[in-house]
Amino acid sequence: MTSGLLILAQESTVVPSEFGRMVVNGISLGAIYAILALGFVIIFKATQVLNFAHGALSAMGAFLIASFATIINVPGRWMEGSPVWLQWVLSVVFALVLAALIGMALERMFLRPMIGEALFAVAIVTLGIDIIVRTITNDFIGQTSRPMGDPFGLKTVGLGCANGGFIGEVDLVELCTVRIPWTTVFQMILTIALVAGVAMFFRSRTGIAMRATAWDQEVARAQGISVGRIFATAWAIGAVMAAIGGLFISMFPRRPGGVDTFTAFFAFRAFPAIILGGLDSILGAIVGGFAIGFAESAASTYLTFGFLGTGFGGVVPYIVMLLVLLIRPYGLFGTEEIRRV
Amino acid sequence: MRGRPLLYTRYEADQAILNTVTKKVMVLIFLSALLLIPFQVLPGLDFLGENDWLRLLSTVAIFIIGALGLNILLGLAGQVSLGHAFFMGVGAYVAAVLGSDPEGLRLGFGLPMWIWLPAAGVVAAGIGVAFGPAAVRVRGLYLAFVTLGLVFVGDYVFRNLISVTGGAEVGRTFPPLEFRLWKEDTPLIDFASDGAWFGIELTSEAKTFYFVLAVAILFMLLAKNLQRTRVGRAFQAIRDRDIAAEIMGVDEVSFKLRAFGISSFYAGVSGALLASFVGTVIPARWDLFLSIQFIAIVLIGGAGTVAGVVLGTAFVTLLPRLVQDATLWMEDVVETGDNLLATLLDLVVATESTDFGLINTLPGVGPGLSVFQLNQVIYGLLIILFLIFEPLGLFGIWIRIRNYWKGWPFTY
Amino acid sequence: MKMKTKWLAILLVLGLVLAACGGDDAADTTEAETPDTTEAETPDTTEAETPDTTEAEAMILTDIGVDLEAGTITVGLLSDLTGVFSALVQPVVTGYEAQIEAINAAGGIHGLDIILEVRDTGYSVDTHVQQYNEIRDSVVALGHSTGSPHTVAIKDQLAEDDMLAIPLTWYSGWSDPALNANLVPHGTPYCLESMNTIGYIVSQNPDAATIAIASNAGDFGQDSAQGAKIAAEALGLEVVYDGEAKINAADEATLAEVANGIIGSGADIVWVTTSPGAYSGIYGQALAAGVLATWSGSFVAWNFGFLGEESPIRDAIQRDWIFAYPISPWSADTPGSAAARELIQAYDPDAPAYEYYLEGVVEAQLLEVILNAAYDSGDLTRAGVLAAAENLEFMSWDGLAPDQSFVGEPNDIVQRTVTIVRPSAADLEAGGSGLAVVEADYTSDIAAAYQFDKTCFDAFG
Repeated sequence: MTSGLLILAQESTVVPSEFGRMVVNGISLGAIYAILALGFVIIFKATQVLNFAHGALSAMGAFLIASFATIINVPGRWMEGSPVWLQWVLSVVFALVLAALIGMALERMFLRPMIGEALFAVAIVTLGIDIIVRTITNDFIGQTSRPMGDPFGLKTVGLGCANGGFIGEVDLVELCTVRIPWTTVFQMILTIALVAGVAMFFRSRTGIAMRATAWDQEVARAQGISVGRIFATAWAIGAVMAAIGGLFISMFPRRPGGVDTFTAFFAFRAFPAIILGGLDSILGAIVGGFAIGFAESAASTYLTFGFLGTGFGGVVPYIVMLLVLLIRPYGLFGTEEIRRV
Repeated sequence: MRGRPLLYTRYEADQAILNTVTKKVMVLIFLSALLLIPFQVLPGLDFLGENDWLRLLSTVAIFIIGALGLNILLGLAGQVSLGHAFFMGVGAYVAAVLGSDPEGLRLGFGLPMWIWLPAAGVVAAGIGVAFGPAAVRVRGLYLAFVTLGLVFVGDYVFRNLISVTGGAEVGRTFPPLEFRLWKEDTPLIDFASDGAWFGIELTSEAKTFYFVLAVAILFMLLAKNLQRTRVGRAFQAIRDRDIAAEIMGVDEVSFKLRAFGISSFYAGVSGALLASFVGTVIPARWDLFLSIQFIAIVLIGGAGTVAGVVLGTAFVTLLPRLVQDATLWMEDVVETGDNLLATLLDLVVATESTDFGLINTLPGVGPGLSVFQLNQVIYGLLIILFLIFEPLGLFGIWIRIRNYWKGWPFTY
Repeated sequence: MKMKTKWLAILLVLGLVLAACGGDDAADTTEAETPDTTEAETPDTTEAETPDTTEAEAMILTDIGVDLEAGTITVGLLSDLTGVFSALVQPVVTGYEAQIEAINAAGGIHGLDIILEVRDTGYSVDTHVQQYNEIRDSVVALGHSTGSPHTVAIKDQLAEDDMLAIPLTWYSGWSDPALNANLVPHGTPYCLESMNTIGYIVSQNPDAATIAIASNAGDFGQDSAQGAKIAAEALGLEVVYDGEAKINAADEATLAEVANGIIGSGADIVWVTTSPGAYSGIYGQALAAGVLATWSGSFVAWNFGFLGEESPIRDAIQRDWIFAYPISPWSADTPGSAAARELIQAYDPDAPAYEYYLEGVVEAQLLEVILNAAYDSGDLTRAGVLAAAENLEFMSWDGLAPDQSFVGEPNDIVQRTVTIVRPSAADLEAGGSGLAVVEADYTSDIAAAYQFDKTCFDAFG
């Protein structure tokens, strides 16, 4: 039995571009950071809460998607004849709804009593929530990783390939200048759609109410806005964003195995993106996310000199964050805090 | 005047660390109880003298030192810092480099403990002060992020500085706790073996316990004293209203630097003791979770008070052991008992993989949470509940109890 | 607020009371009660047994962990049940328990039942040391101790207590007399495993010319990577990417860095030693870039979840992956494996087919042999058990694991045999663990010829 094939030196003018690979990886990472930052910023903007539980919520969301899509196969089991992608999309929707409900429940139970308390104390409460949600989620995940069950598989789009024109779906082993997995394309499209959705949301009635609450809670209440409902909505949206972020993390090629017990710690890496963009700026979250994603991808590809040891790429976002905090603490787009005596 | 304990006629009496007779008596009783623990003569608490409990209590004492440092920074000066673990790591590795065997695999100079222990604190303090100017430029939550970044950058540095730290997952050994004058062959005081001090036979765990207890008490006195000095009052002014403090003449930058320095000194000493006590430590030990553990200790115990810190440390550090013992006891009752209690507990504890329960005692994946996961969940819940219901922490609860009994029977 | 304070105070007091009750019981978790304790009359059957055994028992020396009257031997397990390797160690402990239950049912150690005191260390060195200190006064030996730095951290205390420990790691450093005074290492070390697998790959693909190597930092990863480098040199493979110690499973950026390195190197063979999640991440990114090579690494990277129906890499791994196991895989056709499978399925019918259950059985059988030898020599003290282990010459697991000799020079006795396996969906569907045997009892030429005088990776000095 032969064990595997070997890469033979292919005679070709097509050279896989390292830069192209870095860009694709940067887009993929940037999308993850942008979505995680978006959820975080929405929660912060509306409720002034620094949500340290975002990582746990992302792992929980990813696990819910895995449960609905693969483990219990709902609603797929009732839709035998329909296309696979439709079944998957519906499973994801179910999971997101459940994630939103859990987010609202957490807000009601643990954060409503903390209204008016010091910001730092509330942040620590979210740390406590993170520990609880993470432990319970990891208990459910168990020994193996849980795949997301997405219909994209290993499919890849190739640009500038040796055989097969300029753009086209490529075989697994084909020399191309740039290879983009379909999952990355999906993530990019979904991110753009979500950003557009959020922008539209903030023009709707609830969205304007949320902006008002973010500006001044007391005045918003005086205008008749139910602040509690706004908080619940913000946390629901935040949990959904976190879940989608978790989905992005647990797909091919980043973690083809799926969500595992390490997924919950990924979100800490999004904090530099949030700081860079500004804690309360939606635009900042997106820009910051992609900027940090590209920075990390570039560092992982090019800054691999011996004296830097290993993992420098992972530390670059934090160095960027430290520099931003020293030079311009409110980030690129954040609102400056006015200090009153 | 007799009968009027809160009437102070001299400034020194008002500012004394133990300013009431009750406090003096309680401290005396508490200290004597601590000293007697290894001899197992205290009724009902003699299990504390067993070696594994002595090790736990020593860990509590070491953590108290670190928590006092964070208390000075967070409780007294109001600076939010998630970077405590980094300074502990710095202290530990300074101690390792100065005190370890020069023949060993990693860097070491073989210096005695009375050099490496204070040096660990001093170098950590130096780095804290060096880091200070960056920290004073940001306030509040942004400072939390800056210190968070420090922990991650520190983790990267520790992983890659293999000659000092041994590298990820491997770690290194740390200089043992022993007292030599200068690189002699046999130490003057040896904590590693059972022996006799002043004619009393003690196990090595007991000796170590006494030593770290002494260091912890020293630092407790220093911390309590700090509160009543000019520096301490300046810290509290900055915590309460920093702009007003600046107007009053409290130089914000200088005092914040001092706060970072002092806090890092405590952290460095605590880190050196912890690493030396455990013996082998991997660089991942000094991670974000250690910092969070200290934040939890300070908040659960009661920010700003030394007694609160002691209570908080004891509570958080002993909690896993309490939960473990409680679960073992419940498992015991379920398996061997046949009374009402056993049936009730059977609902909560699962002993077989087909059983139902919230807690499972199997090694594998079973229904419900394992003991370790139960620990984590309780830990998270405690953080949340204390912050929601009792922001003053355990110390606040103690104050309520004390005030209740002070006014008894007129408690309304 | 007063109500809430009252309840909190009551809870605290309850907690302390529970701890007080629990503190004394921790050492006495006996599951084996002498039967018929409820019957007041003296039944003939139970009483008749005790006179014979007490005579024999009177000649057995015991100190800690063995209670001849209650008929129990307590053995400790320091396991990672909730940390980074919990997915691998939990089945080991379950397999251990299954085998011990069978041993006890068949009469135990000459009538003495073995009781396991399992402690969770969470793969933290601190907790490992703490848990050891908690059980050191109540166990006669450590059935296993998880993690190399963890075992090294307690080695001085093991020496103090004359306590035997079976290490649950395949680090080649255990052959070093400076480290192994109280240990009984078994199984093929990581670095010889590397030499075997790479030797096999090259024997099947003589045209292979280049290899990329990457691993975790630490004893596990770097021992394996060093073995790969030794193999590469012996076989004339060019190491086109050296990522030894570069992987940190918790740091995504290191995975991207290593994946980039592998992609850019264009290697024919890729050797990555890390945990399953990180391995799949690197593999996925390389696949996305169009890498086609033979992928291998330490067997620890395998998780049957990758062959699940929904797993995107299901087909790709069957094409590319190949591993070597130090014990026989689940579906192996040997008497020892068949017996072990039956045992596990009887103990826990829901257990998935997974090799780590078998590792637990392997360790338990080794423990049984040692305890029996100690009993036969009349000394069940801790030092006696340690001596019995030191005098153990040979152990056979009936095909469940390669036979092993214990006495002799490291170079002569070190285990060099592995079983070569490949992922196979057919095997998973047939109820196996997803690993199909390609070649059993294999030793490559370089592994056989390698002069094993010292550890491949000196982590602990």
